[in-house]
Amino acid sequence: MSAPVEDRREEWDGPVPVPTGATAPFWAATLEGELRYQQCDCGNRQLYPRAVCTACGAEDPPFAASEGVGTIYTYTVCHVPGEPGFAERTPYVVGAVELAEGPRLLALIDADPESLEVGAPVAVTFWQVSDDAAIPVFVPA
Amino acid sequence: MAEPIVAGVAESDLGETPDRNWLDNAAIATVRALEDAGCSLSDVDGVAVAGGDDYMPALVLSEYLDLDDPSFLEGTEIGGSSFEHFCGHVGDAMARGEADVVVIAYGSTRKTGPGSEQSLEETHPIDGFVRPTGLFRPPGAYAMAARRHMHEYGTTEEQLAEIAVSTREWASMNPKAAHQDPIAVEDVLESRRIAEPFNLLDCCLVSDGGGAVVLVSEEKAGELDVPRVSVAGVASTSTHRQDISEMPDMTTTGAAVTGPKAFEQAGIAHDDVDVAQIYDSFTYTALVTLEDLGFCEKGEGGAFVEGGTTAPGGELPMNTQGGGLSYCHPGHFGVFVLIEAVRQLRGDYTGERQVDDAEVAVAHGTGGLLSSSSTVVLRREA
Ligand SMILES: [Zn+2]
Repeated sequence: MSAPVEDRREEWDGPVPVPTGATAPFWAATLEGELRYQQCDCGNRQLYPRAVCTACGAEDPPFAASEGVGTIYTYTVCHVPGEPGFAERTPYVVGAVELAEGPRLLALIDADPESLEVGAPVAVTFWQVSDDAAIPVFVPA
Repeated sequence: MAEPIVAGVAESDLGETPDRNWLDNAAIATVRALEDAGCSLSDVDGVAVAGGDDYMPALVLSEYLDLDDPSFLEGTEIGGSSFEHFCGHVGDAMARGEADVVVIAYGSTRKTGPGSEQSLEETHPIDGFVRPTGLFRPPGAYAMAARRHMHEYGTTEEQLAEIAVSTREWASMNPKAAHQDPIAVEDVLESRRIAEPFNLLDCCLVSDGGGAVVLVSEEKAGELDVPRVSVAGVASTSTHRQDISEMPDMTTTGAAVTGPKAFEQAGIAHDDVDVAQIYDSFTYTALVTLEDLGFCEKGEGGAFVEGGTTAPGGELPMNTQGGGLSYCHPGHFGVFVLIEAVRQLRGDYTGERQVDDAEVAVAHGTGGLLSSSSTVVLRREA
């Protein structure tokens, strides 16, 4: 898959990811429009990236590319900004997205709150917010 | 585990304490709780502290109180449920003869003090996934769990509001409660939107304050002239921490594990419970915990709380001081849950505020983002 990556470095005032250790391959891929998760040889799939597999304990489980689609497990509409740089964005939607491959991911949902419901299909896009990372943002599919 | 006896409980001043820091409030609560127990500082041989704005809180409080050789030191940080969790460790220490008088203490200046937010520097690999979403935590995280519950079980915003309404009814009888004016379901629904489906009155207030509980051994209790309230069961667990999306099932908390364990240890059934003090950082926190503790079937928490079930005169009196929603909430509410349970069992109140002949109480703490659960069963002995 390759999802759109929109350059938002100029206007982004929010926190930015700091790629380190186990998360570095994940963030590197986001700049190319690829959403990755860890797929261990034992079959376990996990996010956020960790130095060990939570099922078998294998160190540095390999990454696989997600199709970038999933459903909204749940969401909230924030009327109070939770981080610097979000004040002008309110109200905004944050969801827990269940990827088709299984892992769940917390992410901004770029959509009209009125149009959303639990279980709705979504697809990933990326907003590049620093030289090192693009954050996954989901839109209705 | 030995069954520790709760000999004393107290709060510091609540609300706004601009001239105090967290340690002052923890220390004030401690000396007041010791006085309530008929003990003095020189009796104390153990300290358990969580939530203070210091990473070695047990050492800091021991020094501040100039304790002589405290043999039991505990600072496990599992958020708002830490104090319930401590009760089990104190019981173990007393069984080993390690301590006879242990203070469980908390203090904060969450309202007037400097923000206790950690620096923007990343402390956990998940921060890069969570913080750029802008999620307003904790309310937004709890709101997401509530939304999922509404989706799976048809729980409504009106039902969540019932908890705020019933809680306020109790608060109206508590002079120490921050909010005492009665409210109706409509008031909750019409209050300011915070993080949907939560409105302002679905969320706990923010205050300064501290609380302390004095636990003593069987032997020490024999020397004191105090009503005997014992810790009859304790269990703790966690499901996740930093990110609500890591919670395996957002409609079921760790209370589903800790409730049955604590009840079994105490040898009680739900019918035996006379009063419940259930952590209510948000209306949903209390609703889902009631289900998970087994006071109603899974998914039926909404229907259960309708019609004043947990209000004065209801079938299950809950959060009889007004809870985190109306009484106080200095960050880690768990210590206040224990304090009120003990006061109800001792019969400290008069009139409608006192639950008739309360003999068994459940005190439940929740920490993090619905992340930790700890259940304590307390019993008044004859
Ligand atoms: Zn594995």
